[in-house]
Amino acid sequence: MNQDEPAIRIDDLTKSYGRKRVLERLSLSVPRGSIFGFVGLNGAGKTTTIRCLLGLDRYQGGECRVLGLDAARQSLAIRQRVGYMAESQKMYDFMTVKQIIHWVGRFYPTWDDSLASALCEQMQLPPTDKVGVLSKGQTSKLALLLALAHRPELVILDDPTLGLDPIARRDFMRDVIGQLQSRGVTVFFSSHLLYEIEPVVDWVCILHEGKALKISRTDALRESVKSVMLRPRDGASLAGVPGILDVQQVDRRVSVVVEDLKAARPALDRCSADGLEVADLNLDEIFEAYVIGRRELAGVGPDVAPE
Amino acid sequence: MFVRIEPASRVPIYRQIMDQVKYQIANGTLAPGDRLPSVRELARRLATNQNTIVKVYDLLGGDGWVVRRQGDGTFVARSPDALTRTERHRRVGQILAQAATQAVHFHIDRQELHDLLNAEIDAIEKDRTRHESG
Repeated sequence: MNQDEPAIRIDDLTKSYGRKRVLERLSLSVPRGSIFGFVGLNGAGKTTTIRCLLGLDRYQGGECRVLGLDAARQSLAIRQRVGYMAESQKMYDFMTVKQIIHWVGRFYPTWDDSLASALCEQMQLPPTDKVGVLSKGQTSKLALLLALAHRPELVILDDPTLGLDPIARRDFMRDVIGQLQSRGVTVFFSSHLLYEIEPVVDWVCILHEGKALKISRTDALRESVKSVMLRPRDGASLAGVPGILDVQQVDRRVSVVVEDLKAARPALDRCSADGLEVADLNLDEIFEAYVIGRRELAGVGPDVAPE
Repeated sequence: MFVRIEPASRVPIYRQIMDQVKYQIANGTLAPGDRLPSVRELARRLATNQNTIVKVYDLLGGDGWVVRRQGDGTFVARSPDALTRTERHRRVGQILAQAATQAVHFHIDRQELHDLLNAEIDAIEKDRTRHESG
């Protein structure tokens, strides 16, 4: 495939289960070699998107291309070349770590036995223990190992840290950086916790009710989304301020979260009686503003009524 | 070099790391000529994207805090004298402007602000003496 082509390209993906619309014209593109965070609340459509990418679910509209292959027609070829770690993956408890590695390896022509043993050692997995007795942290490491040992160019991780304690999570993230980013593997990483994946990901897509509310480089998101506190001038209206994500009246002042401070500053300046107080937001606050932010002040519409 | 990240902070991660490295250089924990961890090593240790660490080292390099040598590593710079006095004033001035804004906002008067600043300088110098004697 063309090396310039993104590792994943989704165009206008639309998917329903019966009459329930799960994905609504979703489009995104994952650059090669990047770590891409796919973030949304439970039920936002993350797992459905991933299943469409792997050709495990059919979709009604749009197109998914993974490593240049069409997900609707080349599911098997995609699954041979992609490392996939499913959400709360089921494993055969009766096998030992060594046995399951051997067993999974037989499905992949590109499986690398020496890489599998090296990973097993680095991740400190006990080869002769039964899978059923491993801790949750160890089980997720094993699942990561199984997704990596066939040397895929792309790894898809579906909420891999779900149910892990904070120490195991961090340990897992270390493996993602140390084992994947160092090797130049593209990673598509879904999670319901934005602050948790922030340190790890280059790109973020905020998914809500099947729609991409925002796709941005992680650092750019922090730089552009800001909270602004101002005291409105008499008769001022926020209607002309571009990209409002959330507005709240706080006593006589108004707190506004804007998507792009640079673009919104002139309009905000015109609304304010005495300057702007700008504050940074953390990623959870940014996520919240996108997902549950109120775009208008209740009762007064977009106009700000000074008391 | 010990650095920690506060995930829920409003301060972006690259700035958290950068500020801690600067602080450690200022108080002598990191001495001129010391080698900083490699990008890969620090990224793995902090469970942070390698590009974030590259950004931090590039910014520190651009400001004259560290020297990056291709293929060799990143080292604490010998001396901040590489920058002109005007430039050093400009940079510290930017930070003080923020402090001044906050101080006015929280009704902290001039004397209080000076005392706070002196206390910070005392803390750094105390650390520094400890590192030089130990």
